[in-house]
Amino acid sequence: MPAGPTKRPRRKAAVISGRQGRGGLVLLAPYVLLLLVVGIVPAGYAIYQSFLARSGSGFGGISAYHDVVTEFQFVGSLENIGLVMAVWLPFMIIGVVGLALLLHGRRSRLVGGLRFIYYLPGALAGMGNFVLWLFLLDPVDSPIRPLLSWLGYTTLDQTAEPAHLPVIFALMLFFQGAGTWILIIYGGLNGISDEVQEAAIVDGATGWQLTRRIKLPLIRPWIAYLILLNIAYATQLFLEPQVLGLATEGTISPQYTPNQLSYTFAFQIFDVPAAAALSVMLLLVSLVIGVIITTRTGLFSDR
Amino acid sequence: MSDVAVEPVASGALLAAGAAPRKRRRFRLREVTPMGFLMLVALIYLFIMVTFVLATLRSQASLLSQGAFGPLSLGRLRFDWRQLRGFSDGIYFTWLRNSAYIAFGGAIIAVLVALPAGYALAMLHFRGRRVLLFLTILTMVMPNTVLVIPLFLEVSAVHQVDILWPVAVIMGFYPFGTYLSFVHYRTTLPYELLEAGRIDGVSEMGLFWRVATPVAKQAVALVFFFAFVADWTNYFLPLVMLPTSAAQTVSVGLQELITSSQLFNASAAAGLNVQLYMPELAFAAVLQMLPVLAVFVGAQRYLQRGAMLGSVKG
Repeated sequence: MPAGPTKRPRRKAAVISGRQGRGGLVLLAPYVLLLLVVGIVPAGYAIYQSFLARSGSGFGGISAYHDVVTEFQFVGSLENIGLVMAVWLPFMIIGVVGLALLLHGRRSRLVGGLRFIYYLPGALAGMGNFVLWLFLLDPVDSPIRPLLSWLGYTTLDQTAEPAHLPVIFALMLFFQGAGTWILIIYGGLNGISDEVQEAAIVDGATGWQLTRRIKLPLIRPWIAYLILLNIAYATQLFLEPQVLGLATEGTISPQYTPNQLSYTFAFQIFDVPAAAALSVMLLLVSLVIGVIITTRTGLFSDR
Repeated sequence: MSDVAVEPVASGALLAAGAAPRKRRRFRLREVTPMGFLMLVALIYLFIMVTFVLATLRSQASLLSQGAFGPLSLGRLRFDWRQLRGFSDGIYFTWLRNSAYIAFGGAIIAVLVALPAGYALAMLHFRGRRVLLFLTILTMVMPNTVLVIPLFLEVSAVHQVDILWPVAVIMGFYPFGTYLSFVHYRTTLPYELLEAGRIDGVSEMGLFWRVATPVAKQAVALVFFFAFVADWTNYFLPLVMLPTSAAQTVSVGLQELITSSQLFNASAAAGLNVQLYMPELAFAAVLQMLPVLAVFVGAQRYLQRGAMLGSVKG
């Protein structure tokens, strides 16, 4: 990250930093307090708990981590996440970047309306989106029943059989999230200066060349951000597999994702150190991704 | 998707260069394909959303036999409403109230906390500023589900499980809001204005109050909107923090409706006095979306710029 606020002479800053420091302290106090109570303390407490023995008392070393890693559901949940990512990430990247590129620079008055339609499902994120997909996927009353029966599915258990889950989750998450991402990539495209594009056109670039040689390289940081953040989300999947599992009565493992496994450790097995250990591992994954986004993409510079 | 957009800029330039009419027509055709694709995607989106919303106006029998579109009746809404009121003595409406409590509470706290913090990070010079900004961006780009289990361990250690206000306070920590406020002040507030105020002897708090809050409207709208939607639709945190059914939010409550439905858990539903089918479930889902839509419409004119401001997902 580049240096602090621009055009602020060092000498002056040194003189007034005391006063501004005190003012800043008051303005920042509530935020820093929340950061501690809601961020740092629970993370620290989870790390502490993860080193306790299963009995709940005394130091257990890395036994909780050992319990998690050797739990047979653990590797399975990682595989599931890998499968979901293998479908979801390409779908999301091609879909979002493709739609944003198609929208960008189009002068039609429809563009605003289209962006709005893509964005709309974001407003029914979470459970609202899930109920909608339950409606779509259950062949009994689905509006796409002809399609489902052509594919050979007559019950929800058939549509949502475990092998289909990566595709189903990819569709669900694309539908609810793509619109926001399209706005973000679109914003990135808007940041490309007109001169650069015009220069390319004068040099005889076709639309395709303009996209490949100018636009795509220039929005690379946003695409990197899209990929990294969606990897982080994938490792955190919970709602969709959890509730779909409840709705299908037993065909989907209740420990389909690592977060579900962590939930099981905490609330079904009551193995708090193991739940804490798995949370700490997942936290580390997100932390690494977060540090890469913050320091490498250059999107969040301190300008 | 290889047939990629031919930019109007590009087409304009080429036409101006005197392209032959034949070429021009081909160009138009290539222009139609991307637009057609965009429209097709939008139509699929609309089909999905419209059939879902219309399901609230149809009977289960019609959904079973008539496919995507069937007869609609407004009277159906009254029936759906009565069914929801009847389910567990109208617990759905308790869930709505709980959601309103934590979403309004969380979003208001988020605004009150994020605005001064974003201002201080943007305009003041103090030690630790860069570290705090780094932590803000870092926590902002991490999924908010990562700390749910650790937060539960913390909250249960102090015996505050099943209580609403700790959930609202947790949601009040909204680093994206701080970052939005930071960018807002960085881009709108001239540093010279503060300098002038300081020379006139205004205190730092006075400066924030007199200079920063009058231009805060946009930031307030954006932070409130994103925080409200995030809080209202949050599922994992309330699921863990509020295990008792009567303390739940509507997000988690919908799950209870699904698992009490004749469609997805016939054995559990058999013992209930109210039978829920797809129209009732869709009604329950659509009804709980209305507050989000209302806030969305209210904040709409700020959103376009906001998405560009942070270039960040909420």
